Amino acid sequence: MASPNEPQGQPQPQPPAQGGGRGQGPAPAPAQGQGGGRGQTPPPPPADPKYHWTPPHNSIGTHVKRLDGPDKVTGRAKYTFDINRPGMLYGRIVRSPHPRARIVSVDLSAAQKAPGVKATLLWRDPAETQRNIAMYQGDEIAAVAADTEERAIDAARLVKVDYEVLPAVIQVDQALAGTAPAVFAASGPAADNTPGTPRSNVRQGQTQETGDIAAGFKQAAQTLEETYSTHVITHVCLESHGAVCEWDGDNLTAWVSTQGINATRDGFAQGLKIPASNVRVITQHMGGGFGSKLGAQDPQAIICARLAKQANAPVKLMLDRKEEHLATGNRPSAAARIKVGVTTDGMITAFDAETWGTGGAGAAAGFPLPYIYQIPNRRRTHKDVFINTGLQRPMRAPGHPQGSFITEVMMEELADRVKMDPIEFRIKNLPPEAPNAMWASYLRQGAKEFGWDKRHPTGDPAAGPIKTGMGVAINTWGGGGSQGRAHVEISSDGTVVVRCGTQDLGTGTRTLVAVVAADTFGIPVSHIKPEIGDTVYPVSGGSGGSTTAAGISPAIRIATVNALDALKDKIAPALGVEAASLVAVNGRIQVKDNPSKGMSWAEACKQIGPQPIAADGAWQPGLSSVTTSGVQFAEVKVDVETGIVKVTRVLALQDCGLVVSRLTAESQVYGGVIGSLNFALFEDRILDRNTGQMVNPNMEWYLLAGMSDIPKIDVRLIDQSERGVIGIGEPPTVPTAAAVALAVRNAIGVTVRSLPLTPAKILQTLAQRRA
Amino acid sequence: MASKDDKPGGFAFSRRDFLKSAGVVSAVTAATSPAESEAQTGGVNAVGPGDVPVRLTVNGKRVDLMIEPRTTLLDALRNRADLTGNKRGCDRGACGACTMIVDGRAVYACSTLAIDVQGKQIRNVDGLATPAGLHPVQQAFCDKDALMCGFCTPGFVMASVALLEKHPSATPEQIRKGLDGNICRCGTFSRIFEAVSSVKGVTRG
Amino acid sequence: MKAFSYVNPANERDAVRALSPEFEKVLPLAGGQDLLARMKDYVTEPDRIVNVKNALDATVTSMPGGGIKIGAAMKLVDLAEHPQVSKLYPAMVLAAGEVGTPQIRNQGTVGGNLNQRPRCWYFRNEEFVCFKKGGNQCFSPAGENQFHAIFGSGPSFIVHPSSLAVPCVAYNATFRLFGPKGERMVPASEYFTMPTLQNVRTENVLMPNELLTHVILPAPGTIKSGHYEVRYKESHDWPIAFATVLLAMNGDAVRTARVVMGAVAPVPWRSEAAETALAGKTITEETAAAAAEAALRGAKPLSQNAYKIQVAKTAVKRAILHAAGMNVVDVKTI
Repeated sequence: MASPNEPQGQPQPQPPAQGGGRGQGPAPAPAQGQGGGRGQTPPPPPADPKYHWTPPHNSIGTHVKRLDGPDKVTGRAKYTFDINRPGMLYGRIVRSPHPRARIVSVDLSAAQKAPGVKATLLWRDPAETQRNIAMYQGDEIAAVAADTEERAIDAARLVKVDYEVLPAVIQVDQALAGTAPAVFAASGPAADNTPGTPRSNVRQGQTQETGDIAAGFKQAAQTLEETYSTHVITHVCLESHGAVCEWDGDNLTAWVSTQGINATRDGFAQGLKIPASNVRVITQHMGGGFGSKLGAQDPQAIICARLAKQANAPVKLMLDRKEEHLATGNRPSAAARIKVGVTTDGMITAFDAETWGTGGAGAAAGFPLPYIYQIPNRRRTHKDVFINTGLQRPMRAPGHPQGSFITEVMMEELADRVKMDPIEFRIKNLPPEAPNAMWASYLRQGAKEFGWDKRHPTGDPAAGPIKTGMGVAINTWGGGGSQGRAHVEISSDGTVVVRCGTQDLGTGTRTLVAVVAADTFGIPVSHIKPEIGDTVYPVSGGSGGSTTAAGISPAIRIATVNALDALKDKIAPALGVEAASLVAVNGRIQVKDNPSKGMSWAEACKQIGPQPIAADGAWQPGLSSVTTSGVQFAEVKVDVETGIVKVTRVLALQDCGLVVSRLTAESQVYGGVIGSLNFALFEDRILDRNTGQMVNPNMEWYLLAGMSDIPKIDVRLIDQSERGVIGIGEPPTVPTAAAVALAVRNAIGVTVRSLPLTPAKILQTLAQRRA
Repeated sequence: MASKDDKPGGFAFSRRDFLKSAGVVSAVTAATSPAESEAQTGGVNAVGPGDVPVRLTVNGKRVDLMIEPRTTLLDALRNRADLTGNKRGCDRGACGACTMIVDGRAVYACSTLAIDVQGKQIRNVDGLATPAGLHPVQQAFCDKDALMCGFCTPGFVMASVALLEKHPSATPEQIRKGLDGNICRCGTFSRIFEAVSSVKGVTRG
Repeated sequence: MKAFSYVNPANERDAVRALSPEFEKVLPLAGGQDLLARMKDYVTEPDRIVNVKNALDATVTSMPGGGIKIGAAMKLVDLAEHPQVSKLYPAMVLAAGEVGTPQIRNQGTVGGNLNQRPRCWYFRNEEFVCFKKGGNQCFSPAGENQFHAIFGSGPSFIVHPSSLAVPCVAYNATFRLFGPKGERMVPASEYFTMPTLQNVRTENVLMPNELLTHVILPAPGTIKSGHYEVRYKESHDWPIAFATVLLAMNGDAVRTARVVMGAVAPVPWRSEAAETALAGKTITEETAAAAAEAALRGAKPLSQNAYKIQVAKTAVKRAILHAAGMNVVDVKTI
């Protein structure tokens, strides 16, 4: 059974408080790759010191402009959605409008006769008793392909599905109380049609216990008992999920909007029962994934390939916004009923929590709790609650934003109980400081820059309806990776190609590839041609868990150092020096202590001859590391007459080991902050409480911040270059929501214990205090 | 960066091949589909619901299409003319990825019928850069890293161009309000704001 | 969206001839910002679309004896930036400038804004066959009603979606409607209809084969205008509540007032109680708050929207202060 601290479906770092990846110090410790593969093969030996990231750096750590910027701002960059093939058809999926229904019959005949229709298929066959029940609104039933997109949509609506609507589990509370219809197997994922399976809609997790709870509460001077919760949100990748599939005989080429080209290739092979070597997956550019595009066997991709096979023509099948909300993943909810004890001098001595959450129709909803802070005596029992909605998928730092909100609000309430400054209270309960656990330092540094000394106690005493407040929260994440391979070629004309079977989600991976290579060769980044996003390149890992940078950078470093060594060997005789005495710097290869003895990069490459220098590299430990720490401060204004919150300032301090590509790394922090602000204030998947259908499956009532909602954001990247490369995509999106919620609390003097912080909730909480 | 579509695997094909297959007509020779009778429409000609000739002026060039009246400007350009620069994000006029400039004003191309904008000057992101280089707005987005996945970027770029052509020295307030019709899910707003604030020399449109 | 035929008439007479007396069989298309989304969501499936942008007036004309006439095809952006309207009817301009986004204001028209259908999420999702779609229930009272009406007693609990409707009612606008039998003039206050079981599928008195062609605003006289909108997001969002307030002054005291709220009821909601509360008073924070209290007296919230009472009170109070030229505090500006 999975620990509740490990959200399903995502390789998951343990927060340091739970002991994972702690105190490893600088880079050499074997990184605990979160990119999969853990425990399958013994880790490779540590990298030879010649591969280490030895300063000075030519391009690493500098502000290099995103290489594909010009392609993206001009519209030249081709996303999966943009792939147009000669004779291409458009696919469309028929989905269940009901949260739970038996597919009694499916009549494709009208669709088959509709204008332009070239293929139809049945995804849920009424005759297959194990598969003929739709388990959520948006579950796939059938599909069509037609010559225009409009006609495909027309035809899909002509597919006649006879549903027997079945009782569904809609509300978590009812599932917990046992008043919902029994739909799910008590032991775990949905087994809707399996006779004789005990059903309860709730999977009872193990109890985790450390220390002596009773003794801990005895030591406490005060106890706090509260319930905290966070809601379900969806990924809303601006480019929807989908694929363009084209067959050439038995060979499939698929352009897919995916975070893992290689896993997707394997998914096609398994789903279509063809050899993986027959499948090529291409993802040159993709419009955001946030964890929802790691699925190797996404139904829409398999459906697309099958439609294309049937029609003998390329098919594009991109989901629309409603389908995205319903069927391509979400961040599960989280809730915790907590009893916690604290001494008068601010030591938390005991923590006892019942927790639960829903990841939809059969998926887990784990999250780390308590988050980061050290509590010697603690107990936690977790339940996964199943309801009839689309299944959760990893979403940017899975589990952490939930655990962070619940823990940090609790921390602040405790700090007030013992009348301590929230920062001092946090520091008192943190694990000891270490290179991957720098919160105390960052809290002090950030407090100074943010002006924390101007923070008033809980409740802004200012007159008038506008109240100001400050909040703070901390984060951690793994960010190690181990699944990188790269191939480098240097041609006699001086050009360098780096091939790596990774993909760029928008994080800047393409740029990072070039920065690492340029740094080794001492030449401008613009001289490097990175080739990624294609399964013909050396297999690398999927981009999830912030593992990409730490997974591929070492591979590229090793490949480029190998290539440079080969080049040095070629030119050393001509220079009459030992190859080992040469360095590549400022566009030259020269003797380290005698710059005049050397040649330019171009001259050096002329010695290569007709056969390019080729070298390979695979990830080895010692160049990357795992576990980051960070702190964020937020300032808000709250209008207590309307409940409207305006975030005015955020300060983010974040480390990620060796900063490879500074500009794009900073962008990740901005993006994380804004994503978390959305989680705090705006986003909410709202289901009708009676029918279980989503009422806001769009971008109008599913609220996302626009330009006017964005605060001033200051990003401080903390360099820890000695630790090697660590990913940064996820940690910055963890703490903002908690920091904003606590700033609101500091402003209005009352605690909102659930997200999102809607005007309704804020006004209601204020009214309760008055009453 | 070159597209990899024509790398190993032999998928070279020309844009013309696609356009041929997508029903683009080079000249308006195809007959209009049977339309409703004039009696039904009170003496005013109705066209459709089948394919009808639609002539657009996109980035200064004539584009003749045979499309249904229900085809949006966005889909007409993306699916029929292979002008895929502007994106479809929400398809309901909320995300702004489809933003194009029609007769000088930013509009949601997903919420505009192609047949409705015949005779108007349509600009999308595919036509913004010139052989001489990027538009100052595009350059500023690159310089400030005002993009991540880039899917919203064409819409933001076009909204920014329209804004600056209206207010060449836009105030921070005008920039914020002027870009409130676009959503970036990656969260690049801070840098988009910085980029647009830094642009000089866009002339009033 | 379902395929349709398309008509592009050049004048209002031809446009009306292309319409149909049958409900939603033929629909006029102006800016399209509401209609096309509704069609894509299969909430509305007309057989034919009549483009009215070339058939209807898009200008502002001065009327003899004061007052102006606004063509229904005028873009919201043009209204929001119109100097003459801004001077005479500032709340109209403020309301137009708060609609949607720049792109929506660039396309959306005055007529389209007034005639758009409700943004109710039950109405907008085809899974819910509600009263407005020929069904036999309103899903909101027992469902997710946080943005629904706090005034009215059904059968539908939508809030009217138009930002312009509220100042139109406040300024005593008259709408010119044109149909097969010629024109008719309907005061804005009578144009929008409270739902009954008989009329619940529509929100106003416009017949399927009529067009709203002009908004006629009478000479405003010497009045002070205030407008205040509360939105969850400052960027694109629908107001939780908003208000237009007009004050005719007698020295420092209010002679007569007009208070109209938006997003609180199926129609623009005028509060005579608030108007009475203001009469004879000097505007202060306290008198404004008292009028706001009066405005919300009698509100009947649903299960989840009681907070809207507080929000609407604030909107009314701040609109009054705004009309009086007093400082209005705001998270956006402070």
